[in-house]
Amino acid sequence: MRRKVKRGSDNADVDMTPMLDIVFILLIFFIVTATFLQEQGIDMRPPPPSENEPTEPNPVILVQVNDRNQVFVNQDPTSELRVLAAVSRIRAEQPDSAVLIEVADEALHGTIVLIWDEMKANSIPVSITRAEGGEG
Amino acid sequence: MARRQSRVLQDDEEVQLDMTPMLDVVFILLIFFIVTAVFVKEPGVDIFRPESQLQESEKPTLLVAVTANDEIYVDGNVYELAQLRNAFEQLREENPRAEAMIQGDLGAPAGTVLDVQELLMDMSIPVIISVEEG
Repeated sequence: MRRKVKRGSDNADVDMTPMLDIVFILLIFFIVTATFLQEQGIDMRPPPPSENEPTEPNPVILVQVNDRNQVFVNQDPTSELRVLAAVSRIRAEQPDSAVLIEVADEALHGTIVLIWDEMKANSIPVSITRAEGGEG
Repeated sequence: MARRQSRVLQDDEEVQLDMTPMLDVVFILLIFFIVTAVFVKEPGVDIFRPESQLQESEKPTLLVAVTANDEIYVDGNVYELAQLRNAFEQLREENPRAEAMIQGDLGAPAGTVLDVQELLMDMSIPVIISVEEG
């Protein structure tokens, strides 16, 4: 055990190089797989129900999207790109009104996000509800 | 100490670097990266995300994709809505602080996206909708 390969020197140094190699490889693996994954997202969750305030004081602009992806603003047919114009026109008369998007189950997700985003970008209060017939 | 002193004094012909401090640092880095490693499970389908003007940067760990054909993908598998709760429970056991992101295709039915969102909210997992910067 005390035999020394190297002549003369009395320090029995363990060669750390192979371990260092392995540790470096592990380190590089974990650095590379460390997913600092940044995704872009929006929060479309409905606000928590407030039980103490059941009355809706603000008038509601109803934006309906039906199963064939047709868009209605307060029952008037329009296109998804003109929702903002229609809503702005109504809000010019009733500045406090909020938008309620009523979504049918077969409506397209892209349309809903488009309308939601346009409302949010123009700081119009907006919330989502499901059309009758869908599960609560 | 005596050993080290003798080495310095000895003046060998081969100069040996002391690797120990570097090794310490490397180990600390290694442990840091192991601990912070979150292995995100991609849903495994390509979807076309809706574009939006407003968005926040998020770091989700639980990804759910809803395709235009009304299929729900989690971690490379197709799930029915009824099986989804079990799948989420398992994923949450692996990572209790899971934050979910729903990647809904442009043509996905809004009802399915809302179903998944309601399910995740019911399980009190924070959920956001994936969008693309427009």
